[in-house]
Amino acid sequence: MKQILLLEDLPEIRAWLKTLAVQVFPGAQISECSRIHDALELVNAVRFDVAMVDLGLPDGSGVEVVQALREKQPDVQSVVVTIHDDDDHLFPALQAGAFGYLLKEQSREQLAEQLQRIAQGEPPLSPSIARRVIQYFTAQARLQPPQPDTVTPHVQLTDRENEVLLRVAKGFTLPEIGQQLNLSRHTIADYVKQIYRKLNVSSRAEAALEAQRLGLFRR
Amino acid sequence: MAWGFGRSGSEGGSTAPVAAEGSAREAQRRANWLWIALSGLALAVGLGLLMLALNRETAKLGRGDVPTAQVLTQALVSEVDGPAFTEGPGARVLRLPDEWSQTHPGRHGAVWYRFKLNAPGSLSRSDVQAIYIERACSNVQAIFNGQPLYDGGRMTEPYARNCLKAHLVVLPAALVRPGDNQLDLRVVGYPLSEVTARQRAAMLGAVTVGPLDEMRQLYDDQIFWGLTVSQVLAGVLGVLGLFALGMAWVRRLVYLLHFGLLTMGWALLGARLWMAEALLPNAALEVVIAMMFAPLTGVAIKFLLGYAGSSLRRAIQLRHEDWIDRVLWGQCVLMPLTLIAGLGFNVLFDVARAWYVVFALQVFAAVGLFLWLAGRERRPEYWLMSGTLGVVSAVVGIELSYQAGWVRMWGVHITHLVMPLLYAAVAVRLIQVYAQALQTAEGARKQLERRVQEISAEIERNFNQIAELRVEQIAEKERKRIAADLHDDLGAKLLTIVHTADNDRISTLAREALEEMRLSVRGLTGRPMVLSDALADWRAEVVSRLGQAGIECEWRNPNDIIEEPLSSRTYVQTTRILREAVSNIIKHSGASHVIIAAEVNLEHHDFVLVIQDNGKGIPLELDGRLDRGHGMTSMKHRAKQLSGQCLVESGPGFGTIIRLTLPLEIATMQQAMVPPPASGGSAVSMGGGARAR
Repeated sequence: MKQILLLEDLPEIRAWLKTLAVQVFPGAQISECSRIHDALELVNAVRFDVAMVDLGLPDGSGVEVVQALREKQPDVQSVVVTIHDDDDHLFPALQAGAFGYLLKEQSREQLAEQLQRIAQGEPPLSPSIARRVIQYFTAQARLQPPQPDTVTPHVQLTDRENEVLLRVAKGFTLPEIGQQLNLSRHTIADYVKQIYRKLNVSSRAEAALEAQRLGLFRR
Repeated sequence: MAWGFGRSGSEGGSTAPVAAEGSAREAQRRANWLWIALSGLALAVGLGLLMLALNRETAKLGRGDVPTAQVLTQALVSEVDGPAFTEGPGARVLRLPDEWSQTHPGRHGAVWYRFKLNAPGSLSRSDVQAIYIERACSNVQAIFNGQPLYDGGRMTEPYARNCLKAHLVVLPAALVRPGDNQLDLRVVGYPLSEVTARQRAAMLGAVTVGPLDEMRQLYDDQIFWGLTVSQVLAGVLGVLGLFALGMAWVRRLVYLLHFGLLTMGWALLGARLWMAEALLPNAALEVVIAMMFAPLTGVAIKFLLGYAGSSLRRAIQLRHEDWIDRVLWGQCVLMPLTLIAGLGFNVLFDVARAWYVVFALQVFAAVGLFLWLAGRERRPEYWLMSGTLGVVSAVVGIELSYQAGWVRMWGVHITHLVMPLLYAAVAVRLIQVYAQALQTAEGARKQLERRVQEISAEIERNFNQIAELRVEQIAEKERKRIAADLHDDLGAKLLTIVHTADNDRISTLAREALEEMRLSVRGLTGRPMVLSDALADWRAEVVSRLGQAGIECEWRNPNDIIEEPLSSRTYVQTTRILREAVSNIIKHSGASHVIIAAEVNLEHHDFVLVIQDNGKGIPLELDGRLDRGHGMTSMKHRAKQLSGQCLVESGPGFGTIIRLTLPLEIATMQQAMVPPPASGGSAVSMGGGARAR
């Protein structure tokens, strides 16, 4: 039986999302909450399989919850469910460890399908997100040239992952890329998952370095 | 100014070894310096010699050379104090000029000179005759044939001080006898030991008898050169001194103060040359005159050291300067004391002479130091100053020699003429320096003014920029706030409608409204993007939507990456148009295949999107409306808003072609400046009998 965390402040939407979750994951145990504070408590108490997290909440951003989940329950699949479709809102959530995003206004069928896919390990990747990821890793490579003996291992994308990212950034859909590269849908999905994972790892390493540097300055 | 470094420099360089370049440069520098110093010295010596020659010339001039005149070269001299000539015990015949220090040492009072004028040629002339006495120190009285004719002022002590004054005595024709005539001159004066300068020691100069007009000529010349010029120069010096003091006051320059005091003092001292009647006893007056040289020397040296300027501070340490001051002002006190003592021991002149030597040595030292420093600093007035100071040194030397009795001076006294001229030269230089400083200050002020103006303009510009930036920031913040509000309120409500409406149509409308809202917000807050990225976004959306609808899609992109910027407004509007077009294809066309071609014409600053489907085309309604439910009007309207155009070609049976042409940013911005034409860019051309609308 799956444990699902549902964080959404609007009651109607929460109810609606709940039915969606029940539809996608029949028989799942769903923990609902409308505030980050409650969500964090739940994270400490319950082991989840899937988390559906809204970003704009009365007491802050859902990114906090994504991050807490990533740290405490690394295996959970966090999905951001939001009204914002721009990479300014989505990218931080992905960095924090989200594995995909759903746009709330889509029809039940679309949402159900996408949620299903994410749960099965096929997260979406839009051109603008792909561009942000490319930018991010380019900047990282420039800031920290690869050194074998650094404390925090430098995360790099493989050539194939780069290839996929570049094609997404150019506007090709994932099935198209699969065809172009002669790869199965699942392989492409694995690359995307891997990209998200590396984005998260690299971001956390960066955050740790940043914290360390701030600590050094404070001392 | 030509310093002549080039020549001497190359000489120094050629002899120096290459390896020790530093020391070679040092040697070269020293050679240059030595060259300058020697040149300055040579100039000074040359000018000094010139002065000596000039002195000799004036001595000749003073003697007078009038052919018709008779120069009386001998006289019977008697040292008696009586009111008339009597042949005293020591009476003897002496040659003129007669300096008492040689012939009557220590004589204080009167000496009689008797001349026999028996040459008929000179006196029997018909024109009026006169006697010209070049110098008689301190005063003279003339008695002709027993008849007193002339005196130059007080003949009792204190005698009138006429040492530098010539005398002209007109001989009345009635008194002239055809045979022997007797001219008695009674000269009163002080012995050398009672005066402080040789020119004020008693003496009688040349006596000439001749026609009145010629004698008057000689007399006028002598008065002019001996007195008038001195007076004029004293006046000039006084004015210069005042001017220097004024400049010193304005500019707070100590050396100008010293120079002003020096020239004023010299002008004041000049009064000794022509002030005949002073009611002070001779001794007191002599002491006063002599003691004035001490402060004059002091200010002269202070001026030279001060004018040498800051380099002096390095050359002389501060305590040395204090020491110099103490010596200079100390001798101002000491000198009168020694003079009075000298008066008591009857050696006033020797004491004064010794002081003059001391002062001269001090001045020479100061001059040397000044020239050394000025030469080292390569100051532009080095040559002027070395010339001037060379002449000063020469004149001081001449003066000292005269006082010592080594050189004779008749008539015009060179020092009295040359010194004021030198002061004037230095003053001119100082004024020039002042004027230059003034000009520099004026230039600097103007430059400063200009700079201030420039900076003010820049500040204003920056301020405007900052203000604009600030406005921009505020606008940005406001846009973000509106965007957030829209998402939180309107978005949430629309979302609730989407997911709670029973009616499908309502939920679709709400969803579309939400998408519209999102695009609007993006248009409000979005950053400009690159055309390539926009094309990628459009492609991803169109291909995925058509793919989901089961319609084959072929997207033709330009191969190169196009870095042209695209405003978020254009991006959003184009997205809407594309969405509408794709929606039309999915909903109405029944097409199975869509070709979308994007083209960028950089030379026309536009890009073209052509959307072509193989559907059934847009049916022509009975009422002539082409696009019922197809959103064509809004597509065209949007294209028009972007200064572009949207052409729709459609015919039953052969699909629809939508040709969207939009300007790139540069063109759009230019368009934004001028209002778009009334019948704008959108037009519809219909194929297959479709009517334009």
